[in-house]
Amino acid sequence: MIDYVLTTVVRALAVGTPLLWASLGEIYAERSGVVNLGVEGMMILGAFFAFAVAHTTGHPVLGLLAAAAAGGAAAFLHAVVAITLRGNQYVSGLALAMFGLGAAGVLGRGWEGIPLLTTLPEVSALTYLGLGLAVVLWGALYHTRLGLVLRSVGEAPAAAAAAGVNVILVRYAAVVFGGVLAGVAGGFLSVAYRPSWTEGMTAGLGWIAIALAIFAGWDPLRAVAGTFLYGALFFLSFRLQAQIPPEFLRMLPFAFTIAALAVMARRQRGQGAPEALGVPWAPGER
Amino acid sequence: MRWTVAVVVALLLGSLTAAGGAQQRKLKAGFIYVGPIGDYGWTHAHDVGRRKAEQQLPWLETVFIESVKEGQETLFIDKLIQQGARVIFTTSFGFMDGTLAAARRYPNHIFAHASGFKRAPNMATYMADFYQVYYLNGLMAGAVTRSGKIAYVGAHPISEVKRHIDAFALGVRAVNPRATVHVRWINDWFNPAAAKEAAEALIAEGADVFAFTEDSPTVVQVAARRNLPSFGHYSPMKRFAPQHCLSGQLVHWDKIYVDFLRKVYQGTYTTENLEKVDYWWLLAQGAVELGCEMGEPINPQWVGRLKAVTVQTPDLGRLSVYDLVMRRHAQMAKNPPAFDPFTGPIRDRKGVVRVPTGKRMTVAELTSMEWAAPGVVGPWPKEP
Repeated sequence: MIDYVLTTVVRALAVGTPLLWASLGEIYAERSGVVNLGVEGMMILGAFFAFAVAHTTGHPVLGLLAAAAAGGAAAFLHAVVAITLRGNQYVSGLALAMFGLGAAGVLGRGWEGIPLLTTLPEVSALTYLGLGLAVVLWGALYHTRLGLVLRSVGEAPAAAAAAGVNVILVRYAAVVFGGVLAGVAGGFLSVAYRPSWTEGMTAGLGWIAIALAIFAGWDPLRAVAGTFLYGALFFLSFRLQAQIPPEFLRMLPFAFTIAALAVMARRQRGQGAPEALGVPWAPGER
Repeated sequence: MRWTVAVVVALLLGSLTAAGGAQQRKLKAGFIYVGPIGDYGWTHAHDVGRRKAEQQLPWLETVFIESVKEGQETLFIDKLIQQGARVIFTTSFGFMDGTLAAARRYPNHIFAHASGFKRAPNMATYMADFYQVYYLNGLMAGAVTRSGKIAYVGAHPISEVKRHIDAFALGVRAVNPRATVHVRWINDWFNPAAAKEAAEALIAEGADVFAFTEDSPTVVQVAARRNLPSFGHYSPMKRFAPQHCLSGQLVHWDKIYVDFLRKVYQGTYTTENLEKVDYWWLLAQGAVELGCEMGEPINPQWVGRLKAVTVQTPDLGRLSVYDLVMRRHAQMAKNPPAFDPFTGPIRDRKGVVRVPTGKRMTVAELTSMEWAAPGVVGPWPKEP
């Protein structure tokens, strides 16, 4: 029994780690009022660059840095379209997801079928760093001036601007920060979780990270609970396959998401999604 | 005089280029893939086959579309035909009905569908099937397991995968009558995270040998990390687990592609005579290979272990599992094969007789197989 619980916890941590990093990033981006549906694309770019750099240099940590840079750069593209050009954020994010998958696939030609010799352990510093980061991001969001600024930009950009906040700059920073975390999430996949490169290896995890950001109610600490719950249920869907239909277990986190959204919809303003989420803003607009 | 020479030379050159042009008559073939060509599994193997065919056949041109969702194949078939493809290969079981519909809509084009059973005058079927190789893998798995629990991470629970698991389980039981094959389904062809957690779940249950159907080296990597042996799938995966990838299944799709395209090019295959063309190519045709690395049927690291285990067989007497694998391999590589894993008497895991004594299963029976072999443990959708 203890064994059962222990393996489930370990697997939840391993599956949850990339989801946690990616969803923390998405939470910060969305808190600034910008939806980024390109998580899958940023993750796969991170996975590719992490693998390529780790393989070339022999240092998985350098790979992770490359992944962070790749994710941040991809997010910057989205920021230009979504913030500066005030394009449709949903369309731009979807395009980024497809661009990332395609670009990583093209760049990755010839990298498949190669093992990585030095890898990071699965439940590693990245897991603990992710947990610590969640606490720090939670504290920053609710208990610092920076967090207040970020939230105000996402809730009421015009008011924030009137109060002297550089809305554009804050949004750029939040979106790029989100991309950096998504890139690291992808890097974890290719240098720790499954140390190799195969095209499309994120296989939908980016989309789940977006769903988990919503599930968490844009709260970094609840994201911890959500990602590890998802990880545990994902693992248990195979562990208990003979007893419980796997589809049921894998559906649970999303059922929770719908329930959580329904509950949040009845709450006060400021508790649910940021008011200005997905709405482009131009200086001088109200 | 000068003019005459010039005209003659020009005519000669003209006729030469014309002849050259005739020789350079091209055939364009289009491929629809279900996964990304970089999956290092099924789609990767098809793409290797496509490239090899292109190298071997100077008149061949190819185009392909990867990561096509099952159900969307007809759209992409249209696209390839617009690009001038005369022959279309579709490479997933789920593309079967869409390919058939397209074959009816384009009666002047040639279609070939991998792993299915529906044909038309202009649509053939083909498969490089692994069931013999899986049986050989099973023999080895039965010999090296310590816990008696062998893991199988399955993709979709369709006949093809069930046939492979059954062949594998029959091999396991031929060596180790008390061993069991524990199956978990991921309901996906390509999903590394699911393959990984399914393998981890099986490790938690005590399984210590791994085989799988999923289009990435994930299961091989997971097993190696835990110091456990595994069998590679589709592509040479030994490099991911040099000590632990014991053997596996390798494919040579190019054998089928080259043969088929050559016959189309020569006019042997037309849009009217494909109704009965079904490539069911196995060891004998060289379409599949035993091993985790090309040209190496068994990882040398494991030969000693396999030689140390002996087993009593009805036809070959007492011999080591290593010799048994080699003998069965030689028997099955003959044409027609001198041995077939699905030879009666075979009962399913519920005790129902599925193959009567002395009978061999036909290709049609093999491709529509739904029952589970004895020793298979775990959910089995559509079990009769």
